[in-house]
Amino acid sequence: MADMNRRSSTGPSALGSRNCDDPHINYKEIAYLAKFLTPQANIYSRKRTGFCAQCQRELKQAIKRARHMGLMPFVA
Amino acid sequence: MKLYEGMFLLDNQAVRENWGRAKASITDILAKHGAKVITARHWEERKLAYPIKGRTRGTYLLAFFECGNEGVNQMRRDFEIDDRVLRYLLVNAEALPAGELEKSQAEGAAEFTLPTPPVEERVTAERAVFGELADRPVVDRSRASAPAPDEGDAAEGEESEIETPAVGEGV
Repeated sequence: MADMNRRSSTGPSALGSRNCDDPHINYKEIAYLAKFLTPQANIYSRKRTGFCAQCQRELKQAIKRARHMGLMPFVA
Repeated sequence: MKLYEGMFLLDNQAVRENWGRAKASITDILAKHGAKVITARHWEERKLAYPIKGRTRGTYLLAFFECGNEGVNQMRRDFEIDDRVLRYLLVNAEALPAGELEKSQAEGAAEFTLPTPPVEERVTAERAVFGELADRPVVDRSRASAPAPDEGDAAEGEESEIETPAVGEGV
């Protein structure tokens, strides 16, 4: 029963799967990064984004860099 | 020598005075610490996501340069001191992005002109904390219990209301 309730790690996610060669994860691509923020500007979890661990880490890094430069909000 | 990418948030006031001088102030600091500046260009003028040092708008300068690691640590100090630099970000770059060199060279052309950054409203400490709320007139809650159609009359009316029971008690 526990297995049935577990979320699939390979299934389609809310934001679709991502090719790991995608060059869009960059702190200057603000419109793209904004898709991975909640309305309060929190970063979506890996379950929600469907990213692999490395991509999620790059996403986190990019969003934090954008926040530091005043391109994205810390809270909205 | 590694390739670095530098993004600098510049004060619009410095940009309004002279973009060339504002840009030179950055490239001079880079060159001072032994960096070889490959490109430096105007990236964008935009509204900031949150006020930084009282500014709501700023101009971004994007530069790519080659530098040794000691130079990077020393130049950080200079960027911290420079008043025109509101924020800066230095990151390793794998390679120079395609088209970056052309965009940078286009800026050097004689016909290149930069649109003047729009005038911004200086953010006071109150506005930075309370945002739009800081602009609202202050309402004194202790006196606003009675509906006041006219402010001048209401102030007098309320005073007399307070006085009347006091007089009644005295008599």
